[in-house]
Amino acid sequence: MKLQKILSAALTSAIVLSIAGCGGNTAGTQAATDGAVQNAVAGEGSSSSGNDAAADTTTAAATAAPADNTSSGEKLTLTVLTHRTDRLANGGDGSLEEMTKAFEEANNCTVKYQGFTDYAGDVSTMMSTSEYGDVLMIPDTVKLSDLSNYFEPLGSYDDLKEKYNWADQKMYDGVVYGISHLGSVSGGICYNKKVWADAGVTTLPKTIDEFMADLRLIRDNTDAIPYYTNFAAADWTLSQWSSLVMSASGKSSYNNDILINGEDLFVPGGAYYEVFKLMYSVFEDSTLIEEDPMTSDWEGCKAAINNGKIGTMVMGSWAVGQFAEAGDHPENIGYMPAPFSVNGKQYAQSASDYAMGVNKNRSSEIKELGKKYITWFVEESGFAKKEGAIPTLKGSAMPDYLEAFADCEFFTEDTAPDGLVGVWNEIDNDSQVGIWAGDAANFKIQIAEAALAGNDFSAVEKIYADCNSKWAATRDANAVYTAYKAG
Amino acid sequence: MAAPKAQPKRDFFDWLHGYTGQKYTTTLLFLLIPIILMILFTIIPAANMFIFSFQERDQFGVNPEWVGIDNYKTIFTDTSYLSTFRNSLYYLAGSFAQQAIALFIAVLLCSKIKLANVFKGVIFFPYMMNGVAVSLIFRRFFQKGDGITNTEGTLNSIIQMFGGDPVKWLSNPDIVNWCLVFASIWRYIGFDIIMYIGAIQSISPDIYEAADLDGANAWQRFWYIIFPSIRPIVALQLILAIKGAVSVFEIPYIITGGKVGTSTFVIKTIDTAFTYQHVGLASAMAVVLLAIILIVTGIQKAFFKEDK
Repeated sequence: MKLQKILSAALTSAIVLSIAGCGGNTAGTQAATDGAVQNAVAGEGSSSSGNDAAADTTTAAATAAPADNTSSGEKLTLTVLTHRTDRLANGGDGSLEEMTKAFEEANNCTVKYQGFTDYAGDVSTMMSTSEYGDVLMIPDTVKLSDLSNYFEPLGSYDDLKEKYNWADQKMYDGVVYGISHLGSVSGGICYNKKVWADAGVTTLPKTIDEFMADLRLIRDNTDAIPYYTNFAAADWTLSQWSSLVMSASGKSSYNNDILINGEDLFVPGGAYYEVFKLMYSVFEDSTLIEEDPMTSDWEGCKAAINNGKIGTMVMGSWAVGQFAEAGDHPENIGYMPAPFSVNGKQYAQSASDYAMGVNKNRSSEIKELGKKYITWFVEESGFAKKEGAIPTLKGSAMPDYLEAFADCEFFTEDTAPDGLVGVWNEIDNDSQVGIWAGDAANFKIQIAEAALAGNDFSAVEKIYADCNSKWAATRDANAVYTAYKAG
Repeated sequence: MAAPKAQPKRDFFDWLHGYTGQKYTTTLLFLLIPIILMILFTIIPAANMFIFSFQERDQFGVNPEWVGIDNYKTIFTDTSYLSTFRNSLYYLAGSFAQQAIALFIAVLLCSKIKLANVFKGVIFFPYMMNGVAVSLIFRRFFQKGDGITNTEGTLNSIIQMFGGDPVKWLSNPDIVNWCLVFASIWRYIGFDIIMYIGAIQSISPDIYEAADLDGANAWQRFWYIIFPSIRPIVALQLILAIKGAVSVFEIPYIITGGKVGTSTFVIKTIDTAFTYQHVGLASAMAVVLLAIILIVTGIQKAFFKEDK
């Protein structure tokens, strides 16, 4: 009796401990030691990720699969992590699952999608364990030099670059670890065609001055807000301006040149300087923007640009579809190239969205299936076409909304030279200049605040100078950079 | 005929089965879960954070590099880190006002007024609300509408009702911090009032009776009886206010995102860790914040010893 009581107490505590410890152990290692506990742990792990009971059993089967190499005859389950929750059955229109049925039939497998609304944040955290799905969008927080720790090589750059756009997106040492799922024009401006036409604009602006003049025309001749800043969501909306820089420079090697030659980021006439000068000019004139940028509303502005209450917004081409869907006038949403010309010619940078990679901690069967899935997704699924994006497969048709880009030259950014891979981002992060970042002390937010407060341009030049000195100091302290310069 | 059995020696299991043994095992088993949870979710992460603060590492923790006290040097030499404490002064100033108002309301609620318990409930309610919800409410409250994508917020609607012009509460760097402080006061004042009411009610009614016989008025009752009796609570509240002021986070983070000069030390820490991937440096910032709070707590402890 006494012994039984003690034993049951010990067992209780053991179960408590093993459940508490489930985060640290993978289901695979547990399976090797104790089958009964494994069931409990796997059940616990999957139910905590918020799936229904039916999904739980499939997850448990999927996580146990790597430990079990004899199940080759069974139907495999491929778990795909995605940020497109709007295309999943659970919370969206389900078109992604619908599309995937063809792949499931062709390969006799089940594809299970897991959607994340805060994709980069959630998946970055998951990646500190080995449980981050079988196929996933590679978060940009993973350094290029660390890719091989997490992802299966998909082929060499030399083989893939002929076939796919942006094959160098997730590449290290000539090995490709991720293939872009689709791409977009990264430097462009969304506008309402009717508002611009009503204002009397006949040709789209090719220079900063023309762009500013057109905004003033909209102010004078229509009731629409000429430009909507979306400053309340500034952590990402201001970053859209950064995406104009490469297009404005018209040079695929623009960032590389700055880095290799040790130049400043912000020099008068340079793309960074001019793009953010334009941003300052727009934000500084309170008659051109919404009344109170601090309480702007992203969801509300989508419908407003659709029905002609807003004229213009700087956004990546991904936003075109969302604006078109938001109201009754999808035909009025247009997309124009960045208003910068180099020797009379406009340029547009095309860039990759998330690249898909295969989790390397998986059985070879799952990994093969994952690679097949990626190939199918970019070549046959038709997802990019449906989304109105630029497909990854070279030679595919371009989407319709790029009609205004007919005279534009498209280019993709060059990869960093050997020996400087990833250094640009390292300097960007270490100096906390944060070209793409949205923290409260970021230079983009500082410039916008200076403009909204009505300060003159010298305040912006001070911010430029501060960024230049932080950038230069961090660059000169960077070990990889100094080694490159010395060698 | 049978000799009485010799009393067997009490072994461990008998002890365990006895009163004290059961008391200990029960206590131990009940404590086991909270202790495991605490070790798992508080002690281990805190210890890790302390270790990280001496490293240069990103969010994934691949190849962390030991850098000694470099992170601490950065915090104390680069002014952009400690300068974010400047905004804490707004909250500190606000918390003094908060204490005065809380004390006033507490004294009112302790006098003989009708529906005192209803008022107590209503005033304490904001404290039980989620901080994120409170922040969202106040973002809406201070909103300046443009009539196109959004409408005027509550405050501007009221101003308009009385014929005034709407104000850009959250865009103006001169007033935005005070707006945030107002939201903070609204949320936390209920807790202070309850603390003061508790302290005031612990004063013996005999003293009031004696004061009444001596003809003391309401102000004299407050200044000579209530205030001296609750001084330790006032001191405690002020210390808690300092702690709150240095670690303000969710209200500015959600209402303004730290823009227009409303950033705080905690927001800066989050940006350092997750925007710029300097988890080591951010851990050091967290340790600095912890140290400041420990020092304030030490001062508080010393204060109370003196009072005894």
